[in-house]
Amino acid sequence: MKLDKRYIFHGDSACRPEHPYADSPTEAEPYIVDEELKQAVNLAIQLRRPLLLEGEAGCGKTRLASAIAYELGLPFYRWDVRSTSKAQEGLYQYDALCRLHDVQAKNAGSTVKRDPSNPTDYCEMGALGKAFQLTEYRSVVLIDEIDKADLDFPNDLLTVLDRKSEFLILETNETIKPTPGNEPIIIITSNKEKGGLPAPFLRRCIYHFLKFPDRPEQLSRIVDAHYQATTLAQEETPPKTDLVKAAATRFLELRREGGLYKKPSTSEFLDWIEALQHFGDKPYAVSTLKKVSPLPYLELLIKRRDDWEKMASAA
Amino acid sequence: MNDLDLRIDFTDVTTRLFRRLRKGFKLGMGEYLVALDVIRWETGPKTLADLKLTLRLLWCHSLTEQEQLEDDWDAIATLTAAKPKEKPSSDSASDASAAPEKPEAEPPTAPEVQQQLPQPPQPEPEVSSDFMRTPYLGDEWDDGSALQTYFPVSRRSLSYFWRYLRRPVADGSADVFDLSATVQQVSRQGFFLAPVYTRRNVNHARLVLLIDQDGSMAPFHRFTRDLVETVWEESSLQPDNTSVYYFYNVPTSHVYIDSHCTSPVTLAAVLASCDSETSVLIVSDAGAARGYRRMERVRLTTEFLVKLKQRTNLIGWLNPMPEDRWAGTSAGMIRHLVRMEPMNDDGMSNTIDTLLRGQPLSS
Repeated sequence: MKLDKRYIFHGDSACRPEHPYADSPTEAEPYIVDEELKQAVNLAIQLRRPLLLEGEAGCGKTRLASAIAYELGLPFYRWDVRSTSKAQEGLYQYDALCRLHDVQAKNAGSTVKRDPSNPTDYCEMGALGKAFQLTEYRSVVLIDEIDKADLDFPNDLLTVLDRKSEFLILETNETIKPTPGNEPIIIITSNKEKGGLPAPFLRRCIYHFLKFPDRPEQLSRIVDAHYQATTLAQEETPPKTDLVKAAATRFLELRREGGLYKKPSTSEFLDWIEALQHFGDKPYAVSTLKKVSPLPYLELLIKRRDDWEKMASAA
Repeated sequence: MNDLDLRIDFTDVTTRLFRRLRKGFKLGMGEYLVALDVIRWETGPKTLADLKLTLRLLWCHSLTEQEQLEDDWDAIATLTAAKPKEKPSSDSASDASAAPEKPEAEPPTAPEVQQQLPQPPQPEPEVSSDFMRTPYLGDEWDDGSALQTYFPVSRRSLSYFWRYLRRPVADGSADVFDLSATVQQVSRQGFFLAPVYTRRNVNHARLVLLIDQDGSMAPFHRFTRDLVETVWEESSLQPDNTSVYYFYNVPTSHVYIDSHCTSPVTLAAVLASCDSETSVLIVSDAGAARGYRRMERVRLTTEFLVKLKQRTNLIGWLNPMPEDRWAGTSAGMIRHLVRMEPMNDDGMSNTIDTLLRGQPLSS
């Protein structure tokens, strides 16, 4: 397999091409990527295999996909999997009932928006279907929370996710398959909520476990990146470095030593920083934050009653 | 030149690691070839650490697998660390590594013969040449799972197998849209009135689960708990058609409706609720866990099975002990009375089959 030099992910939104393709995300997604994750993304792009991301809730699994689409300027199609989702929905859906209705309506003399004699008018493409139809460039498809669906769901997707994938639209007898070289970049996220995924499915994926950033500097970098993106848009004052540093230290301490059942994640940390910075009349005092107990705005970090009680008894 | 040497080394390390991990990680040739592809890329791994990262991303699919790769990597890295010193004057790629080493371990095969033959006798020549030199590692390492936990059947496969326990009867609510029937009706009537709906399929299978609890079954509580949870939460069985009872060693006059064996019901009442279409699944080690053969236990079990067989023929028995431990125990005798299966994927599958189609006539 040859290396495709058009698409190399650097983890830097400044690498976005000047003229991104249609359907590419318009808002920059601040995302800090370490070497391993960068390597994983590039392998997935080059080998045309899906990238399976696992990790704690709120550590940025879903956001990575739009960060990739933004940086490479590629169209981004998102498919949120629900408990009732079927593999078919990601490919296409056909509204036969509407067509039947239109035939009758037309015969009765009323005007219809679509032409019932043309079967393709009633076909709505799903995320993968849209991605397969692109002939000039690739796209990024996010299959979010694949573990939420039925047990058979990953198995049904196997053939579509394979490199020689194609599917048939029964109603119109069209075969949809990606143009060689322009297969979609597929990112799959999972929380392992309902047991593991089947082995044949895993075998086809590149697997990466997103670890929680366990050093204060990493958290500070995430906060910086986040505010760089939002301050541009909303003219907010970013929090001071020493506040972020103190907050990161206290936050990691809580995660490490709090003995919590549900540990707060990156997204909750960002909310907390936001509250420390903007909720009061002026930003929270750094000297107080370093030693105050219990922590301020604990509502943002602790989401379970037993964890609350634990914190209360510790204080 | 130096760069080329490194590449050869990488292929070798990749091959060794693949042979070690293949079985346990369920990797196919595709995964191996992809790894070789990536090594050849310009942007491919430059250092051994890079290589490890690449292979980890390609081959591991869980944190446990990542840890196992780390362990195996260390073993392989120490073996290959001494390598560059041993082949200082290698000029061409594959022959160079094979030529100086072959004669040491395998005197009859001269290097010239090797080079003349276009197809080497071994399927993987570069690997076998390396095995001559290094301490014997075992041809393909067992995945090491024997040293890890005994995990006969995963929760996923349990939920999966339960789905096959079904007797669909179309007597549910009429809300399934039938396109072809609708089109037919329209063409018959000449105009469209309403879509045609058919009745939804409902699972009419009935299941009684009898679980041996405590004593020798204590180590397997995790699996029996999974079994019960998946029946309740993830099977397609109707909750009204499913009942779970617990017993200690043998179901005698009473069984219990809770796993702590505190609320008894009479066995007669349980049997009375079974008809010929009720599947009964017994989960017990039948004495195999401790390796005893007790005639008393066999006698009581036989009595119970005779009573049960008067009611239904759809009887399955899952034994959480591996099959090779049944011989010489009570389980070895009881298995002649009822089809007993080990609690692994194949056994589960056969059991579901028995629960639907019944015991073979011979037993």
